[in-house]
Amino acid sequence: MTLTTLASGVSIEQLLLPAFVELQLGGFLVHTLNGIYYGFILFMIAAGLTIIFGVLGVLNLTHGELYALGAYVTVSILGFLIGLIGPPTDLVSGALFAVVVLVGLLLSAAIIVPVGAILESVFVRRVYDRHEVYQLLLTFGLLFILIDVIKLGWGERPVSFGTVYRSLNAIPTTELVGLSYPSYNIFVILLGLVVFGFLLWFFDKTKTGRIIRATAINREMATAIGVSTPRVFTLVFAMGAFFAGFAGAVAIGGPISANLEMGLNPLVLSFVIIVIGGLGSLQGAFVASILVGVVSRWMTWQYPPAELAAPFLIMIVVLLVKPEGLFGTWGEIE
Amino acid sequence: MSVADRLPLVVERDDGLRLRLLSGLEFDRRQLAIIAVTLVLLLLLPDIVSIVGLSFPFILKGLTFGIAALGVNLLLRHTQLVSFGHAAFFGAGAYATAVMASYGGVESGLLLLLGAALVGTLTAVFIGFLVAGHREIYFALLTLAFGQLMFAIVIGSQFFNFDDGLSVRVDGARASLLGIDRALGVGSAGYRVLLYYGILVILLGLLLLTWRIVNSPFGKTLDAIGQNDLRAEFIGIPVKRHIWTVFILSGLYGGIGGGLFALLQPHIRPQGTLHVLISGELLLMALVGGFQTILGPIIGGVIIIYLLDLARFQADYYNALAGIILVAVVLFFPQGLLGSTDQMRSGARQIREDPSVVGTWAKALGARAAGGVRNGIASTKHLLFGGD
Repeated sequence: MTLTTLASGVSIEQLLLPAFVELQLGGFLVHTLNGIYYGFILFMIAAGLTIIFGVLGVLNLTHGELYALGAYVTVSILGFLIGLIGPPTDLVSGALFAVVVLVGLLLSAAIIVPVGAILESVFVRRVYDRHEVYQLLLTFGLLFILIDVIKLGWGERPVSFGTVYRSLNAIPTTELVGLSYPSYNIFVILLGLVVFGFLLWFFDKTKTGRIIRATAINREMATAIGVSTPRVFTLVFAMGAFFAGFAGAVAIGGPISANLEMGLNPLVLSFVIIVIGGLGSLQGAFVASILVGVVSRWMTWQYPPAELAAPFLIMIVVLLVKPEGLFGTWGEIE
Repeated sequence: MSVADRLPLVVERDDGLRLRLLSGLEFDRRQLAIIAVTLVLLLLLPDIVSIVGLSFPFILKGLTFGIAALGVNLLLRHTQLVSFGHAAFFGAGAYATAVMASYGGVESGLLLLLGAALVGTLTAVFIGFLVAGHREIYFALLTLAFGQLMFAIVIGSQFFNFDDGLSVRVDGARASLLGIDRALGVGSAGYRVLLYYGILVILLGLLLLTWRIVNSPFGKTLDAIGQNDLRAEFIGIPVKRHIWTVFILSGLYGGIGGGLFALLQPHIRPQGTLHVLISGELLLMALVGGFQTILGPIIGGVIIIYLLDLARFQADYYNALAGIILVAVVLFFPQGLLGSTDQMRSGARQIREDPSVVGTWAKALGARAAGGVRNGIASTKHLLFGGD
């Protein structure tokens, strides 16, 4: 019996410890989940980037802006769709709402597909055989143009809408396991898993996926056996654009607003991710995205000044220990 | 006794006398005349600019960026390596100056500049060690990431005053330029003119240094590495060490450029010095000026900074302007302005002979773009709905 024994015979430590542990654990869990949520959004961007790099050999600097464009388009399209059906009131309209949101997200991302296809067939196609400085500068120039296209379309002020986030969070999911965590984030994590699964399946099992991989391995040989490589390149670029746009759509559904600078940070982070994971490796991009997402959210929680720098430090460590990346494959999708 | 023996620096060649500046760097009379005229024009530039109505501060800023772009170009032209993170050195130089001024109270412009050069070089020693083993796009990616790391560190640190940046003034006073500005008691316009002459001297020194590097055995080795690093390795060239060395040299240029830029400014911020867009601009300068030439980056620096800064004040869509210049340079003038003089001359001649040729060009360009758009739409259909 210590001095802190209370009348009931229970020590203060005994009384406070479980609550303290739960609070800490709760914080840890919440920030880890936030990190996974963030990581999945990063994964969708980085996956597109790594596919494009793996097949075309071009580092697409417009990728961040395609993500931003996805977010802006979503604000317009999903805003319109939600305006049509109104906020959910009961279970049925809640389910309808969720379906509309999913359709709206996919539709918005689908609008980025022709943007990507046209970017590739008008501009990027001209620099495949040139020095990489031209590839970088061309996509860098397109990045600037896209920023102003967004400015022209949606203005300079940040745009956002909170209805999706609020309404979907009204659906109880995490309460079932005794934790309060936004349902929308869980929804996004599940979507991210579906995207990862789809990409693995697509490149492993489908004919188109195998054709793309064959083109990545050997362009000449692919052409020789009858693959239209220009078509494949456009498809790959458009596909990458779709996932970037989808990431933007999903991100803007969450508690953020879309602004003109939003594309830059995810772009640089996806570079970090594909370096950590290994260029052209989907599994690598997946693992690295989750790693970067979780570590940066832990930093936000414990030591905010290091939040921006942490991903780069991971990258430096990986470079020193394993320069080819965690799942290093060079120029081939795996 | 001939003229060549009496005067230092003058040598006699088959086709007449030449001025010999460095071994291998010789000028005949015509070239000397051009150089003399250029030098006079450069010395009179502050007056010319005010008569013509151009903005002198923009040109000064352009020169400082041009110096950093020289460093980018050194890497790009010879080792064929693309550094997309050169803002790291530019920013390191600028921040070294600002830190020395606002924390150390250093007033001497020369000391500040030396500090900037030193910090820029040391940054390059560190980053270069980590990236020298990589090639091609991987090199670009890594330099970009390191540049952003520096940006992230500065943005997140109290010492560098987050994204508000640091002052380059000691108690509100500008750095002293060897004491001359204090002795003359000049105002801000006079200070700029003095600084301009300082920049000019440094610039000429750096151009000579560049020329020396490029034409040395070391420069030729870099060319060999640029052409094929594997073969260079096989004939016994320590490729990694050479790349590291030239990377450090280019960091020195970046540090000096950044230091001079900071001396021009009352206050520096991370966005204007360390940001990834600055890295892109530096690369763009090297390319616009013509990256196969020594002078190209300087010209590119002045033009790009002038256009962008002007556009920032005048137009809403200045980003698109930068983008269109970039795309146009990449697609139509891959050799840059200095590199495409022949191309432009022949274009101008064609226009003189038959002005309708412009319409033909525009039509061809439009047809190509339309073809691309059609292609993109067809591919999208294929992707979304399958079939052909």
